[in-house]
Amino acid sequence: MEEHRSRLAYTFYMLTLFLGGAVLFLIGFFPASYSVAEKEPFISIHRPTTLYDEKLNPPPASYESFILFLIDALRDDFPTEHTMPTVNERACLKLSLHVDIPTVTMPRLKSITTGTLSNFIDIALNVGHTEQLDDSLLHRLKQRQAVVSFIGDHTWVQLFPSEFTRQVANNDSFYVNDFYEGDRTVTSALAEELEKTDWKLLILHYLGLDHIGHVEGNDSPRIETKLREMDDAVKKILDHKNMDNYLLMLTGDHGMADGGGHGGNTPAETTVPLYLYSKNCSKYSSSTKRYNQIDLTPTLAVLLSVEIPSMSIGCLIPEMLQSLTLEDQMYAYFYNAHHLLNKARVKFGYESVRRSDYYHWYQNATLLHKQLLKPLRAGDGSGASNVHYQNAKLNYLRVAREISAQLSESLVKFDYGFIAVGLTLTTASTLHLLLSVLFLDIASEKLRLQNFKAAQLLLSLVIGALLNVACHLLDIVLTSSMLNSLLLLVPIVASIYLSIDVIQALTKIALPPLYARRLKLSIPLPIPLLLCFAIRMGTLGSSSFIEYEYKTWYYLGNTLLLLTAFKTLRRRITKANVELDGRHLYKIASACLWQQRKIFVVLLLLVLMRYLHRLSAIKSTLMLFSLLMFWARLRKFTNTPQTVFNGVAFVLVYCFRGLNGQVKFVELPSYMVGRILLPVLVLFWCCVALVFVLGYRTVLPQQSTGKNLLDERPKSNLLKLLQTNMTCSLILVALLYKVQNVVLLPTMLITLDETYKLCDAYGSTARKFSVRVVHVYKIILTLVIARMFYFYQGNSNSLSTIDLNPGYMGQTSYNPGIVAFFVTLNTYSAEIHSFLYLIVHTLRTDLRSVGIIQLQPPYSRAIDTLVMPMYAALVLLPVAFYLCLMLVFRYHLFIYSVFSPKVLYDCYTVLVFYLVFLSTSLYFKFFKHDA
Amino acid sequence: MVSRFDQQKTKHQLFHVSISLATILICMTYMQYRRNWAHLGSFWDSLIVPIVFIGELLKVILARFFGRIEDGVLTAKQRQKKAAYFTPRELLGGLTLQFLCTLLYAFICIILGAPVLANYEQTFVLSLLMTLLTVSPTVFLLGGGGALQVCFCEKPDFITKCEDTALHLFKYNALGGILGAWAGSVVAPLDWGRDWQAYP
Repeated sequence: MEEHRSRLAYTFYMLTLFLGGAVLFLIGFFPASYSVAEKEPFISIHRPTTLYDEKLNPPPASYESFILFLIDALRDDFPTEHTMPTVNERACLKLSLHVDIPTVTMPRLKSITTGTLSNFIDIALNVGHTEQLDDSLLHRLKQRQAVVSFIGDHTWVQLFPSEFTRQVANNDSFYVNDFYEGDRTVTSALAEELEKTDWKLLILHYLGLDHIGHVEGNDSPRIETKLREMDDAVKKILDHKNMDNYLLMLTGDHGMADGGGHGGNTPAETTVPLYLYSKNCSKYSSSTKRYNQIDLTPTLAVLLSVEIPSMSIGCLIPEMLQSLTLEDQMYAYFYNAHHLLNKARVKFGYESVRRSDYYHWYQNATLLHKQLLKPLRAGDGSGASNVHYQNAKLNYLRVAREISAQLSESLVKFDYGFIAVGLTLTTASTLHLLLSVLFLDIASEKLRLQNFKAAQLLLSLVIGALLNVACHLLDIVLTSSMLNSLLLLVPIVASIYLSIDVIQALTKIALPPLYARRLKLSIPLPIPLLLCFAIRMGTLGSSSFIEYEYKTWYYLGNTLLLLTAFKTLRRRITKANVELDGRHLYKIASACLWQQRKIFVVLLLLVLMRYLHRLSAIKSTLMLFSLLMFWARLRKFTNTPQTVFNGVAFVLVYCFRGLNGQVKFVELPSYMVGRILLPVLVLFWCCVALVFVLGYRTVLPQQSTGKNLLDERPKSNLLKLLQTNMTCSLILVALLYKVQNVVLLPTMLITLDETYKLCDAYGSTARKFSVRVVHVYKIILTLVIARMFYFYQGNSNSLSTIDLNPGYMGQTSYNPGIVAFFVTLNTYSAEIHSFLYLIVHTLRTDLRSVGIIQLQPPYSRAIDTLVMPMYAALVLLPVAFYLCLMLVFRYHLFIYSVFSPKVLYDCYTVLVFYLVFLSTSLYFKFFKHDA
Repeated sequence: MVSRFDQQKTKHQLFHVSISLATILICMTYMQYRRNWAHLGSFWDSLIVPIVFIGELLKVILARFFGRIEDGVLTAKQRQKKAAYFTPRELLGGLTLQFLCTLLYAFICIILGAPVLANYEQTFVLSLLMTLLTVSPTVFLLGGGGALQVCFCEKPDFITKCEDTALHLFKYNALGGILGAWAGSVVAPLDWGRDWQAYP
């Protein structure tokens, strides 16, 4: 008889260590900025003024005023003759720009102004935190006391707090329900700005289009009206009387994916148009050539007559330089090539640059350039010099292109010190947890995994300190301050401590002291489950499998359910058949099949869920029906008053959707809708609060009177509290979910319920009954079903499918905390609630009779020794494996487009699980000994 | 060693395996001949189902042939059972069983990701093929009731020695067919449509 010990605290420590390791890994894998690592003292920031002793004059600015007209999420196919007539007709030139990942606003703005590629992790910093830049076009303009004016989104102001002379910023760039208000402010500020004539550069940033995309998708009818509005704004600028010698650039910072979001790397997201307008343009020409977005920076620098920002690695866009004289054009090409060559020298060393191809091209070009200077200055545009000119230009351009490509490849830098520490910590903690779960009964006595050993800690402290010092001396790990170095000691020591434990345990398992007494696994591992898990781990190595991860899950999940169902069916028939000796087999088989009809219905439901997105035609009916089902399901977990308020809350959810026009509802005038919407939401929250309070109140009288409820079993307090929590968060999710997704909630509860019944039947029909088999099946199937519903909901491994709408449910401003909470709850609702449901189910099973009574040890006791630790281990294992894979794949072609978003998703999944686990464990700690 | 090959059982097994291999070879030749694999899944335009059907039938005939030799040593129950194979009732039962199996396989295909109604012909052909490979030989050999009993009873006593050998072989056949079909469709997410991955 095993001693009952809670493993919650131990699991909690392991999860904490894992998360710490994952954070370290991410820091090492995505260094926060490139510029800190490479200061470039050798590159002179001034423009070159001589070429082989020949004097060169940097050209003056070619236009008096520049306007950068940015429309957020302007996709390449949005501006057509139909949607934006002015934009199309009056353009001098149209180009396509290729945008680098990540396709979110802040990194894109950095790229446009500094000309460097952005870091992948900027995608996480896009929300909230913004670092200020050292050098950019705007810094250079400020040095020259040019007037720069800005109107638009406040991300710019965060990036450039003091570079603008005048600024009008909208403060609600993340409040996506604002379609028109912000843009109207920009347009009215634009009118004022056009009256003034002192500015050299005017930056406009319109956010409305992006917001419409996020909320309504890319085929919303509002997109057309919004494009029309943008068209009018452009027209207004072009027709203004003060506009004389100007260059207007209309472009998008990133595109829009087919669902309306952005952040991924589909062509729709990474291609944006660039339209150019000026007064005296020769003719409209549309070039099919594609340039990079970072090419805009050096080109603009030349046109504005400022220095190219030191970090820029773009090439020039020749089409934009047509207005310059030949001499100035030559100078521009020479300047950019010179700049890039200097960067290459710093990066690759003088010697390797001198031996490279592009250095010869550069020399060729400069010689030709020098020869050209005299005829050009004499005004001789003859044929010979034209040939020379073309030749030099081509050479300069290919030098730039070559170096630019090489530099952008070598921009990736990994911090191997952090990666090693993080990876060791994650792997060690995962293995530690896994071993202690697998060898459950002997983990504490024989393997001594969960005991704290002071001597070992001391030893690892010494080794860790030595390692830390050694690494610092060898420059493997670079930290900015002494404190950071000391802090780094903690993960190093922890990983050494865990590694020693793991190695000791593994040796004990592999080489038992007495061969006859081999250490046995305490947990049965059924082969099909193991196989599916192995296949799932194997698929992580392929980018296609990651892009279509949902297919893997649907396939494996359904396979497991089918397999379990058929095995149970066969066992049942065989069992029933033993007594009857082969007679009436048809009848027995059909009777057993009929007994299991529900699981087959569930399987059909799961098939139906795949086609959920096609059901939008009947979504009102579907929503009503699913809310009703959901309410009926939740009745199992609530008492009567709670049930009533549940019902009211669901009615209010439907009203809210109806008022928003997403489902069929009574037609109301719009002023009424605005007034009713808020009370509906307030009432909804009141209902949720009431359900919550009612649930918690049932616990109280037991504490005070204590005697009249003696017949209730212990632990029911804990169960009631957990049920209340789950009910409340499920009601909340019903509000947050998209209309056609609401049906997923009752379906998930039904599926889990039927699966658990199936597992019970499977266990009880086995020849040798074992509780642990049932537990293992339930845990793994819960995990699989959670993932399936996570993907049914429309999530994927691309960052563009994160649904931001729920974050703004009923809010009028941007509040980062609430938005993050709501979006997380919406995205991960399947995983959070199936975990909670498993816990509640395991606790309840003890209270009612399953058919298998008198279990030794009691069923629900396993919850903190087996269920929760094993669930945690199974959540961690694929993530730890994936982190190792990331290290192997670090130079993979798709590392930033496919693998990196997945790693962020995975780490966030662990974080969410960690929080849920923490809150559940706290309940266990406080209410366990209550009764 | 040589004497082992002389045994009835071993001979039976060898012949059985060679029929399986021949079926596979003929199927592959046929596929190579057709070039375009897009039509392999259609019912009227593809010879795969008839080829497999003939192969399985040959295996059953083989089992019957070897079964004749041990006719003399049958118990009364076995004789009685054997006589009952060709009654209309058993025949009807066998056909019903196979039909139900086909439906079941189609159901499984749909659950594991086949389109519900769009490619019903291909789904049907696949489930027919699976039925032919798994259930049909046993049904042909023992009749519908017998097949059910073999599936769900510990060890029915009317099975002759030779039938036992055949059933073992059929079991591996069926397992291989199911596992192969399952493993073949795990890789569905791979983007086979890309030009560098397409079959030549």
